[in-house]
Amino acid sequence: MINQQYTLNSFNCLNKPTASRLHNMGLCEGCPIKVIQRYPFHGPVIIENNHQRIGIRYRDFAALTGVEA
Amino acid sequence: MANVALIGNPNTGKTTLFNSLTDKYAFVGNWTGVTVEKKVGTLKNSDIQIVDLPGAYSLNPLTKDEAVVTNYLLTNRPDLILNITNASQLKRNLLLTIEVLERGLPVILILNMIDDLRRSGQSYDLDLISHRLGCQVATTNARGHKGINALRQQILNYQNISSQPLQLDYSGMLQQAIRQATEALQNDFDYDATTARWLTIEFINQSKAVREYASAKGLTPLLSQAPYYDAQKFADQIYENRLDFIEKLLADARQSVTSGGQPEVTSKIDKVVTNPILGLPIFAGIFYLMFKISFEWVGTPLSNLLDWFLSVPVSNTVNHFLIQVGAMAPLRSLVVNGIIAGVGGVLAFIPQIFTLFACISLLEDSGYMARAALVTDRLMQLIGLNGKSFIPLIIGFGCNVTGIMAARTIEQPKERLVTTLIMPFMSCSARLPIYGLVVAAFFPKHQALIVLSIYFLGIFVALLVAKFYQLLFHVKERSVFIIELPEYHLPRLDIIWHGTWDKGKGFIKKAGTIIFAGTVLIWLLSSFGPSGFVTDSTKSFAAVLGHALVPFFKPIGIAEWQAISALFTGVLAKEVITSSMMVMFHTSNKAVLIAALSQFMTPVAAYSMMIFVLLYIPCFATLATIKQETGSTKWMLFSVVMSLAIAYVTSFIVFQVGSLLF
Repeated sequence: MINQQYTLNSFNCLNKPTASRLHNMGLCEGCPIKVIQRYPFHGPVIIENNHQRIGIRYRDFAALTGVEA
Repeated sequence: MANVALIGNPNTGKTTLFNSLTDKYAFVGNWTGVTVEKKVGTLKNSDIQIVDLPGAYSLNPLTKDEAVVTNYLLTNRPDLILNITNASQLKRNLLLTIEVLERGLPVILILNMIDDLRRSGQSYDLDLISHRLGCQVATTNARGHKGINALRQQILNYQNISSQPLQLDYSGMLQQAIRQATEALQNDFDYDATTARWLTIEFINQSKAVREYASAKGLTPLLSQAPYYDAQKFADQIYENRLDFIEKLLADARQSVTSGGQPEVTSKIDKVVTNPILGLPIFAGIFYLMFKISFEWVGTPLSNLLDWFLSVPVSNTVNHFLIQVGAMAPLRSLVVNGIIAGVGGVLAFIPQIFTLFACISLLEDSGYMARAALVTDRLMQLIGLNGKSFIPLIIGFGCNVTGIMAARTIEQPKERLVTTLIMPFMSCSARLPIYGLVVAAFFPKHQALIVLSIYFLGIFVALLVAKFYQLLFHVKERSVFIIELPEYHLPRLDIIWHGTWDKGKGFIKKAGTIIFAGTVLIWLLSSFGPSGFVTDSTKSFAAVLGHALVPFFKPIGIAEWQAISALFTGVLAKEVITSSMMVMFHTSNKAVLIAALSQFMTPVAAYSMMIFVLLYIPCFATLATIKQETGSTKWMLFSVVMSLAIAYVTSFIVFQVGSLLF
């Protein structure tokens, strides 16, 4: 899954502060992202978009990309 | 006098720029939220004041820090706004820029870290950006001091910068809603057109700070429409319109695109330090190294040298001088055994403390702290916190007060409260002198290890207590954890020095004020008794007080009245414990005190005392900050009772079990 490209499908399952913070960082529905790193035990995922690296929780990552949770 | 406000996203080099522009520096760091409060400096060779506001992603505040920015714009009218952006991440930075431009004040847009952008093979048509946004544009590389002088000239010319509010075209119904509310605000509440429009847009955009402001001012044209705005999802539309505008602008302004991507260095370092398996061990290793440097390799040798200097040449010279001028015995005792011994005893720890601060500043400046937050997030989740609590807690190692202030960057109020309440268990630098004394007396061969174990015990207790609070408060709300991983920077010496000095100057200031006062108080208590001035401190008030409390402290291994009286004074400030001991043992020499201590305490009792010092009642300054940040006296008192109970129980167990084993 590392170095794989994903598309952010839906912000609907996120809580409001999380969604708006991601929006503030320029991430929106349809944005392509690349997974840089993930941590075991459903730890955080590092994603890259538009030359910035952001760490998010696995649960949020799964909700955003629709990857199996 | 002109006022200039510095506004920008976190990690854009805002504070570095502030430091280059102003005479007075502020703290600089490379992770979100280093600026915990707005700071004011003066532009070099002028009387223009520059306000450094905390980093914010948007004017819709999620954190206390961001609320500072929005509230500043609601209540102040700066003559000029410097909007600093990271040139490589304009898409997201310009979202805030639009919000700022809509406010309608004169703005200079600063593209900082312009070198990084050029290195990645890109550039922008600055005139086009300037024209479309209607503001001046400057480029800088604050870390390399490039573009600073040109920017300073632009700021000095602030009177000639016109303010053209950005009139972004919002779509259909939204545009109409904005126009209607703006007109109503102008007619009924006397706002000028630009402010009214800005308030309306921010209100529709669900900015918490602006909605609170509207409620407080009773802005009915907005308040009555709020349900309609929200039902129409206008906030989403605003976001989309803004993003479309930015994307079009950047596409038109982009001049040459070669291969993009993250610069090599950051990727390579990140492969190692954020490695799923190696991440945590590397993190532990870095902290171990930090303690080794502070307590064995660099800090301690320097401290010993300083201690020798203060306790031998300085103390003797002053003593001789006082004898020569014929000073009275009590006065000589006050100066030599009181002030020089007490204040000097604490000052001798400056090298250790500054070394530790330098290490923390280095980690902050390099960009590692954000990675540390990331790799610890999973662990912190177990106790109902998140990785972001981790950074304030690390800062708490320097001083609990600044740690609690730094907790403002945490989004969830309950997580912030728990972080604040467990902060006192982080062993602050003020507790170091007493550890230094104990390890030198009892564990000379394993100094770093023993001190590190105390730190880890503090962390362990903090985690346990946090878990307890999580259950107590029934924390159920889903927490937020999104952390930006900034580019690594080669640490710069002056920035590290500024950071170290900023953290450490409070310690030196305290030595001159509260520690000095505490020392004199202790000298009085230990030199006077029921029978007046005594040369034998066993007949003093301090001894009487100490003796009375022996039954309470004996079960945790502390049976000497000197140590008990000293612990009392620690509530003033933890550094005072050491100076109290110096004074009560009537010595200005650390070596003498070490020898005295090791005579009437076992190593287990000494370790137990260190634990008690680690965990018991926070100092006055920390208690005051807890009260201020939680807004309640209840939490402050709670913290006092809780920490005293935990300290007593932990020391009791360690002493009793330890005595059986050793």
